[in-house]
Amino acid sequence: MSKTKVDHNLFWNREISSKLAYDANAPIVKEAKIISLSDVNDPSNRPLNNPADGLPQGSRLLAVGGSIEEFDIEMLKREGANTIFVSHPLAREPLDRLLQEIPSIEWIHSRSAGMDFVASPTLASFQGKVTNAKGLYSSTLAEYTIMACSYFAKDLPRLLKNKGAKNWEKYNVLELRGSTLGTVGYGDIGRAVARLAVAYGMKVLALRRRPVPDDLCSVVYGNDKESLSRLFAECDYILCAAPLTAETKGMIGKEQFDVAKSGAVFINVGRGPIVDEDALIEALKDGRLKGAGLDVFATEPLSKSSPLWELDNVLLSPHNMDQTATFTYESTSFFVEENLPRFVRDLPLLNPVDVSAGY
Amino acid sequence: MRFKVSLLQKTRQTFQAVQRLQSTATTAAQQYTWADPARRHYKFWNRETDVTGQYSYLIGISPESLQREARIVALGSDEADEALHQGPLPLGASLLGVGTTVEELQQNVDKTSPNVLFVSPNCPHAATVLPQVLQAFPSIEWVHCRSAGIDFIESEELVQLYTHRLQSPKPLQITNAKGQFSSSLAEYALMACAYFAKNLPLLLQKQQERSWHKYNVEELRHKTMGIVGYGDIGRAVAKLATVYGMRVIALRRHPFLSRDDPYCNVVYGRDQESLHQLMRESDYIVCSAPSTVETRGMVSAEAFQHMKPNAVFINLGRGPVIDETALQNALREGKLKGAALDVFVEEPLSTDSPWWDTPHVLISPHNMDQTATFMHEATEFFLRENLPRFLCGEDLLNPVDPVLGY
Repeated sequence: MSKTKVDHNLFWNREISSKLAYDANAPIVKEAKIISLSDVNDPSNRPLNNPADGLPQGSRLLAVGGSIEEFDIEMLKREGANTIFVSHPLAREPLDRLLQEIPSIEWIHSRSAGMDFVASPTLASFQGKVTNAKGLYSSTLAEYTIMACSYFAKDLPRLLKNKGAKNWEKYNVLELRGSTLGTVGYGDIGRAVARLAVAYGMKVLALRRRPVPDDLCSVVYGNDKESLSRLFAECDYILCAAPLTAETKGMIGKEQFDVAKSGAVFINVGRGPIVDEDALIEALKDGRLKGAGLDVFATEPLSKSSPLWELDNVLLSPHNMDQTATFTYESTSFFVEENLPRFVRDLPLLNPVDVSAGY
Repeated sequence: MRFKVSLLQKTRQTFQAVQRLQSTATTAAQQYTWADPARRHYKFWNRETDVTGQYSYLIGISPESLQREARIVALGSDEADEALHQGPLPLGASLLGVGTTVEELQQNVDKTSPNVLFVSPNCPHAATVLPQVLQAFPSIEWVHCRSAGIDFIESEELVQLYTHRLQSPKPLQITNAKGQFSSSLAEYALMACAYFAKNLPLLLQKQQERSWHKYNVEELRHKTMGIVGYGDIGRAVAKLATVYGMRVIALRRHPFLSRDDPYCNVVYGRDQESLHQLMRESDYIVCSAPSTVETRGMVSAEAFQHMKPNAVFINLGRGPVIDETALQNALREGKLKGAALDVFVEEPLSTDSPWWDTPHVLISPHNMDQTATFMHEATEFFLRENLPRFLCGEDLLNPVDPVLGY
């Protein structure tokens, strides 16, 4: 287990954290010379790529592009580019090249929370600061998670089928109150879900790398196989809200589904490859799992031939349950309004990422 | 000698314990009287927050606290009433007989005159039978209804009987199961909101087509929820909505009762203009009002016209409170984003009811509070809470006023 070097007090949450809380009177000590590795046509990047009122004082945009060919590397080296804003889905290779060619880079900011799309050995050995969009999507995903729990508790598949058949069939529903929710990965998303779950009267168990007790959880387990199995055995609803890292890949599979509590529902808003998808399909088919709410998959878009499409007990969404009309725009704004002013004043940056851990 | 002393000591200890319990109970009872509307809400029991069984325990440890007997007759029965039929009943209580008509009761009940009537919602023609039973057994002083809605026993005759008895030395008390079902219904209400916010109808359609179609979802956070009828259910819904970060506006007959309520931002009174204002401001409207003379048809065609174009309307109170035809038309014309209905004027819905084919509506067969144990718990509430209170001469919880209808 690698030692995390991040300061958890610097984690920013869209609902709870104060905005613009940095000391604006602190003097500007350096310039931010920015490379925007992003889609120039994506309007969500406008606060950086084409700001109406210009960038914050001390910040300068050097170049915008989606692939390495679009950049004049010599110019960037001459200018001493020090900041990379990365949001392009195909950014892994260009980012690696930029890091290798331009030694003056000291900070990388990702518009998304997940870092797996740019994970690489080059990035893992990067010595500068890396920050991301942690905490920006959590409450929307928490809303989805509780809805997915209720979807199965009130047996919505049955309800919808009955409407089609004009069948007034009264059946018993389950309450979330008194049931147990387990969350694999207790970062900002896990915590946002726990907050809602506790309000519903659910009991919350968490599994995380650092088993620090938390006022919202009854138990916090550490990251070992036995604890993971216990989570599946004790919980009515299991949420996977972990990032995709070398440690979490393929972490959830047959072994866990075999011991799942009767009537368990599995929800994944983390990353698809954390789960063995074939094992998941088997567990859904033979009833070891009552149902699943899946927003992420091993391969996206999900292939039309995947059995997941036709399973009655699967709520399948195309990785859009945090996709509000404004969420990526807000994320770019976060970079421009919160972290850029901090960088130029040499203040601690928000949402630090531990690249060796991968999240 | 030693035996006598220890016995005396035990009795004194018990007596003192009882004194302490009784003293807290009586001071509480003295402060709050039925008639004062400002105090009324202290008499209401909520399953999430209130504790039961204080008086049940009291009777168990000190039979001296019994003030009277409870001779119970039950109107209607099903397996949820097992605890009542099989017992054990608290000391001082006995079940005299069960039936669905006056004749059945008169046959089964011996000469001992009953003073308590327990009514189950499955009793057929309850509205007709109830006044007959009350007239046949004038010794009945307390009617407890196992459900929260009392519209199924409402009638002119009952109102007359009740009003007449108010003058007499033994007024009729009626109580119900308010607070028993609120948290399940609150879960349903928020689920229905999220169902439309995340556009589940589109999602499920795309799933059928095996189509990976990314679309924007909405958040509940910072949206406005309007609650029509702010009783126990309304409050449970507001409590959850607040945690989601929604703004809550409520409508009730006595807005001042919710003046300091932490779960709602604005409380309106029950005039037409307030209802229209609520419809104008709300993104999600939850109707949790009971069906009474005043509320029938309250959410009219005119009220629906004031809705926001992408509003969601949820009804978990009673069907007759809304104008069903107006809502059906609004849904067909796309005047609102969608509706979720757990209650209807006609229940069960017949196969030719227009509701089945109305678009953008989530239909459930009045079962969104129907957990496996909900009715058993309602019977338990009677046996462990109100019945012991009656036996100890304490105030009963969940009083209802048949004149008001709730």
